[in-house]
Amino acid sequence: MKVKIKLDCIMPVFETLISDKLTVVLDIGAAFTKFGFTGEFAPRAIFRTEVRCKRKNQMRRIWDFESVDDLYDLLVEFIYNIYFKFALLSPKDRPIVVVESLLCPTLFRETLAKVLFSHYEISMMFTLPSHLVSLSSLAIETAMVVDVGYKEAVIIPICHGIPLIEAWQALPIGGEAIHNNLRRLLDSNNTGIHNLPDSIIEDIKIRCCFVTEKSRAEQLASSKSDISVCPEVKYPVEGTQSILVSGKVREKAFEILYEEDNDHLCLSTSILDALLQTNMDLRYKLAENILLIGGTTMAPGFKARLKEELEKQLTFDRYKKLNIKTFAFHVPPCKENYAAWLGGAIYGATELLNMKAVTKEFYFKENRLPDWANLKDNIRNI
Amino acid sequence: MELRDINYNKSDYVETASGNKVCRQTVLCGSQNIILQGKVIVQSEAIIRGDLANVKTGRYCIISKEAVLRPPYKKFSKGVAFFPLTMGDHVYVGEKSLVNAAIVGNYVYIGKNCVIGRRCTLRDCCVIEDNTILAPETVVPPFTRYSGSPGSCIGDLPECQADLMVDFTRSYYQHFQPTKLI
Amino acid sequence: MSYIITPDIVRYACTCGLLKPISNLYFCRYCTQLRCSFCVCHEVDTNFCGKCSENIPSSEARVKKNRCGNCYICPCCEQELSTRIASTKTLSDTEDTKTTPKKMYYLSCQFCRWSSRDVGIPDQSTVTGGWPERENVHANQLQELVDMYKAIVLAQKQQQEKDKKKQRGKYLSYTDRTGVTAAALRKRIGLPAELTHPLLRSKPKEPEPAVAKTEVEKLPIELFTEPINLMDITTVDQRLLQPEAQPTTVDKLFPVHKQLSIKRTLRCKSCEHNVSKPEYNPSSVKFKIQLFAYYHIPEVRIVTVEPLRAGQSCELILKFTNPSQHQTTITILELNLEQQEVEEAEVAPSFDNMENLSLQEKQQMSLPSMLSQPSSLMSMSTRSPTITVKPRKISENVNCDVDVPSSTFILPPRDDAAEYDDSGDTHNIQDDTKLVKWRKSNKAYVKLNVTPKEDLGLNSDVVCGFTMQHVYTNTITGQMDKKEPQKYDHKVKVFLHLGKLVGSE
Repeated sequence: MKVKIKLDCIMPVFETLISDKLTVVLDIGAAFTKFGFTGEFAPRAIFRTEVRCKRKNQMRRIWDFESVDDLYDLLVEFIYNIYFKFALLSPKDRPIVVVESLLCPTLFRETLAKVLFSHYEISMMFTLPSHLVSLSSLAIETAMVVDVGYKEAVIIPICHGIPLIEAWQALPIGGEAIHNNLRRLLDSNNTGIHNLPDSIIEDIKIRCCFVTEKSRAEQLASSKSDISVCPEVKYPVEGTQSILVSGKVREKAFEILYEEDNDHLCLSTSILDALLQTNMDLRYKLAENILLIGGTTMAPGFKARLKEELEKQLTFDRYKKLNIKTFAFHVPPCKENYAAWLGGAIYGATELLNMKAVTKEFYFKENRLPDWANLKDNIRNI
Repeated sequence: MELRDINYNKSDYVETASGNKVCRQTVLCGSQNIILQGKVIVQSEAIIRGDLANVKTGRYCIISKEAVLRPPYKKFSKGVAFFPLTMGDHVYVGEKSLVNAAIVGNYVYIGKNCVIGRRCTLRDCCVIEDNTILAPETVVPPFTRYSGSPGSCIGDLPECQADLMVDFTRSYYQHFQPTKLI
Repeated sequence: MSYIITPDIVRYACTCGLLKPISNLYFCRYCTQLRCSFCVCHEVDTNFCGKCSENIPSSEARVKKNRCGNCYICPCCEQELSTRIASTKTLSDTEDTKTTPKKMYYLSCQFCRWSSRDVGIPDQSTVTGGWPERENVHANQLQELVDMYKAIVLAQKQQQEKDKKKQRGKYLSYTDRTGVTAAALRKRIGLPAELTHPLLRSKPKEPEPAVAKTEVEKLPIELFTEPINLMDITTVDQRLLQPEAQPTTVDKLFPVHKQLSIKRTLRCKSCEHNVSKPEYNPSSVKFKIQLFAYYHIPEVRIVTVEPLRAGQSCELILKFTNPSQHQTTITILELNLEQQEVEEAEVAPSFDNMENLSLQEKQQMSLPSMLSQPSSLMSMSTRSPTITVKPRKISENVNCDVDVPSSTFILPPRDDAAEYDDSGDTHNIQDDTKLVKWRKSNKAYVKLNVTPKEDLGLNSDVVCGFTMQHVYTNTITGQMDKKEPQKYDHKVKVFLHLGKLVGSE
């Protein structure tokens, strides 16, 4: 009796050997880009999302593009630097994994796809939603993912491995808002703040400022505060001059995250709003599985303050019906600013890359990327 | 743009048999240790310290005004020793630059006011932009453009850089003519 | 000087529509077209370390994560670290009265005076190394996770394929290529197709989910009372240099291995021939294949320009240089930017069709070109055809008209020996004296009249352009039957930035 050789148990072994080729994993954020390879546990490099503009000989942020053509040229230059300076690989006929936010503007992702497929001739592009994949390093399926980056804070709950996009919350409170707040606060004590480049403000934020406790913040906000503020810092700038960063400024810089705007929204209320939008059965589980990702969450004291704010908000009538008793936070096995990248690297290491990526043939036939917002891709098969 | 004629006072410059044009107002210490290969221009108030160690330049080099070529030293436990400074062909050293490098390759362009740290190695076909300060012992790879303080790589050069430098130094030499007395 | 430091004054239009100076352009001999780094395919040739100037094979580069094993970078200022000797004298225990100095090495930065001793790394006894490396704390845990995920996905994929097969086999075929299969027989009899029960088969192990913690870290109290020393806290750039660790304090900054550099080969996208191929030796600046435009296309340089006035005709002297070994005739024609739309319209349908064609058809179209001149080293089966992008419109605002001269002029070939021979030209070329002002070996000064447009304001940049047609002699010796090298008329659009408008009428 002839036994049929089951090819499909041999084939995967060959496939994993051949696909041992290095696949680039990219997470292009508004301020920093994380770059590395699949199967590794930390990005090879984290660098600013800037290119040197040849006309002005200055560094230009990619997200500050003027038009589609401008973005195309900037992305060509940027991807060139990534491949020939860091990856030291030729992009042709190779796959790439791109981790992006679910709310990434279509213009950006379509231009990126065009640059990668038409100009650099990659073989396939695997786009992954950052909120979903950051859970893979924790091996859980349900969590409330809070991504506080540079431009905005995006909160999307993931339930049983599916992002609940209808419960999305986004606020423009991110690194950029904190920088502007810091500028405003420093301006009252020092002159010439507005001429300082953004990199110096960023440095002041990272080295001197922190997220203070709620009780202290309330006292600082009131006009007569008799608590002892933390000591001030003299920050040297331009050789001989220095900026005085007073203790009050050090503690108040991050307050913009929790100042409610005209719609009474801030970081804590958004998380609770996202909880309200989900199914009642899932709410307890989500509240006990909060994951913070993004560079801004690495500020000292961020988690403690967020927990205090959430507990405070629960006492108000708006959120009383949530009836949540405990909040619990996850500690990812990596630094938060590359947690989404790590998820992309883990997903890219599996066979999903070959199964679900957008191939060159598909892209040139359809001339677009599959998108959850596009009904052509998202329609349910009844 | 095509270079214009740069005229000099004939009495100021000494022209040797091999075509070197050296200004009289330069400070050439230890001139027996200085080897100028041929068709080298040393402009006024340049300083070449041949007394410390051997200084050797290649053909068609241009040492601009107030530039300093000083051989690098190395500290030993028993004292200090000076190493020879070798330059390749077709090198341009800009005004007021200080070159302490150990080896300068061929086809190198050094801008104005640069400070090349001691025992640096500049390989062929590199460009050090104006006002750069290179940290000691940096190695500048070929086809790179260095700038800033500390000098770091900011860009690339086109592949025909070697020919561009040859063309530049040759035409500089050809246009470096004494003023014709009418 | 012009191409090294000063901004681009004379620019040529590449076939893709971008404007570049001649030093940045390449010339593909097989397509007789100009190419620039934008429209050419870049490939990685070799890896080398910038500091040790040694070639590193790509497999080793992959293992070492694209970093040099020997060279280090200062974590503070990102400059190269040098190994210094710190000789410590140790007294020997034996009766030997001589002290044996033992050489210990440490890393030191020449720029910011950081040293490996600042971080606490002990001095090493060998020159090349033994510097301790840091490991990722979570590496083991994550590796287990990744392996488990791979197994899960693989099982899922196998399951999918099995389901597909089950769907396909509607009609039972006993023969099934290899004879009567065991599965078919079992089905006949009535037994289940697989030997083991599906529930008993081992499922891939699921990873353990992480547990969230309700306790959060509080701020250290010292933050409120003690002043901070800015010199002890790392900046963002220093932290991001080591993404795994991202230390917040300076005493945890470890030295980082230096990143490798690459040498690139450039390949024309339409004909798959190499346009530039560097040598293997990292210190060498020669090229094995160098098809640069600087060596094939006549170079245009501005010698003098009269002060420009709006509406008035100004004199412009240009220097033309013939870099090739053959004589060439240059004709200056009108720029005619509108014509490029017609050309684009002729070319565009083929490019548009390229995008609409399926990939197999594109492969068929490019295969003949690959068969005729197989210069690519890779086999055709592994290399997919290149996709050409539509050329873009030249976006230069020409605001100055050029008086097109009626006569042409000849440029003799380049003669390297003529540099040493000052006996003068023996070419005896009859020139239109109004056009050609001066001549020497392969160079000529040509006078042109330009008229800036009348409506230009003071201090606005004046840009003029013309089409230069030159006779290009193809020197490919691959075709043995043709002894005479072929001559082509090659047109190049040249754009000149003449400077600012000085006055008006």
